Amino acid sequence: MSLSDLLAMLPILILAFGATAILMAGAWYREPLPLLAGGIVTALLGALSAGLVTPPVPEIAGLFSAGGYARFYTILWSLLAAAGLMTGSRYIIEKRIGAGEYVSLVLYAAAGMALLSSATHLVGLFIALETFTLAFYILIASNRNCALAAEAGLKYLLLGAVATGFMAFGIALIYAASGSLVLPDAVMRLKAETGELQAWGLLGWGMILIAVGFKISLAPFHLWTPDVYQGAPAPVTGLLATGSKGAVVAALVGLLAMSGPVWNDLTDLVWLLAALTMLAGAFGALGQSNLKRLLAYSSVTHMGTLLVGVLCQTSEGFAATTFYVVVYVVTSLGAFAVIASLADGRGEPMTFDQWRGLGYRHPVRCGVLVLLLLSLAGLPATAGFMAKFAVFHAALQSGYIGLLMIGILASVISFAFYLRVTMLLFQPDEKASSWHQGSVFEHTVLAVCSSAVLVLGLFPGLLFGLIRQILP
Amino acid sequence: MISVYHYMSVAAILFAMSTYGVLTRRNAIVIFMCIELMLNSVNLTFISLSSHLQNIDGQIFVFFVMAVAAAEAAVGLALMIAFYRNRESIDVDNINMLKW
Repeated sequence: MSLSDLLAMLPILILAFGATAILMAGAWYREPLPLLAGGIVTALLGALSAGLVTPPVPEIAGLFSAGGYARFYTILWSLLAAAGLMTGSRYIIEKRIGAGEYVSLVLYAAAGMALLSSATHLVGLFIALETFTLAFYILIASNRNCALAAEAGLKYLLLGAVATGFMAFGIALIYAASGSLVLPDAVMRLKAETGELQAWGLLGWGMILIAVGFKISLAPFHLWTPDVYQGAPAPVTGLLATGSKGAVVAALVGLLAMSGPVWNDLTDLVWLLAALTMLAGAFGALGQSNLKRLLAYSSVTHMGTLLVGVLCQTSEGFAATTFYVVVYVVTSLGAFAVIASLADGRGEPMTFDQWRGLGYRHPVRCGVLVLLLLSLAGLPATAGFMAKFAVFHAALQSGYIGLLMIGILASVISFAFYLRVTMLLFQPDEKASSWHQGSVFEHTVLAVCSSAVLVLGLFPGLLFGLIRQILP
Repeated sequence: MISVYHYMSVAAILFAMSTYGVLTRRNAIVIFMCIELMLNSVNLTFISLSSHLQNIDGQIFVFFVMAVAAAEAAVGLALMIAFYRNRESIDVDNINMLKW
């Protein structure tokens, strides 16, 4: 690894070494606020260096790309880490979670997600995926006094470890069929193979799809999602719902955009997964009476829609998917940040009984929540609408009419449960209790998320122009 | 003569058996052992393929899999202790506070 490689890797190095330094500092110095501030500064520095330092080489050690697409996601995940630290700041102080551990794990997770989005080698893909998954196992169970959090952590660990096994075996089969672990190369060689080797390659792809299905909760591998989201602390859920899924989708898009259409034999399978996921999420959310579980099922539906964009395998589909990832990350993070900002000594407001009438007690934050929920539903003039429209348009152009119909059906059903929450918030209820007022950090995150949703909804061309330039 | 097919068959059988174990066992530690077995079958595949293809990449991958398996075991046992402190059991039938 030469000096120019290290320079190209600077954002990741800042995140990883910053995380290590904070972890070490946290072992002796227990004051949470300086550690949190250090973490936020490190994350922002990572984003800045990814934006400003031009990488001298296009690829780092043959494992990770340093192109525009990788840089774009490095910036996004670094900013996400900063937002996650800001939403978690009050939470970890009040729950007495070790600040050094929390901050460093969030930064490690951001480094892992940034690496995953830029992986060009199956070894790089595997390590990056494990880096942030391992950080999340601990983050989910970080509140050690909460039995629900420990259970959620163990559940995620057992399923995540199985997914790791499938991922590794899938990679082994692709290696067997193509004789290479370099990504575009291995995938291209698979296309040329016939007979037995092609069958192995397809089996490998199928196993990787199962692992990806676990990680981004595609039906029928989505059953852990509501449980883990409910048990994890809200700031961590915000990161888990956005970053860990977005990074995997980003890696898929990057891989397919580099190597051309390779899914021809798997199209039917992916079609079925996407359709099942959209419907399972929409119908699952209908019966929920807990906001965190509802948001979990909503994220399942969104992952199904994202898969439609990936399935198109056209540049328009990839651009729409990337736009959708950004919009989903901003919106979903904001929704969980609202929950985190309301949390107090009693815990987080979760059940619908606790949310009823809250719109009169906390009008601003409930207003923000309504805006974010409507964006998740896809109301015109919000970013969510533009994202859905772009993906469905790409699906129409690629001729996936059936999938388009199922997607629209799922969106219509989604409106029902998002509107139900909206009405619940503004039902008059004398018994509605006041929750925490929230800290400056939390309000900042909410302001950024809600303004981003409005700006991207009204001027989507700003982001689309950028995405078209950077797609590999 | 033992060919690469024999190694791959053993690895595939090992993988299938450990997947079956993950699905049917009730004790979290035994499930974890099955997961380790899954990763070991992957290692066996990679080593045999690496020697068959005369390509070093597969052997390098094995080191990463071993590192990941060790990290996962460390985190997993810590989580099981956290779970045990709250519930006095690590039986997966007791992972039942969160549902529907």
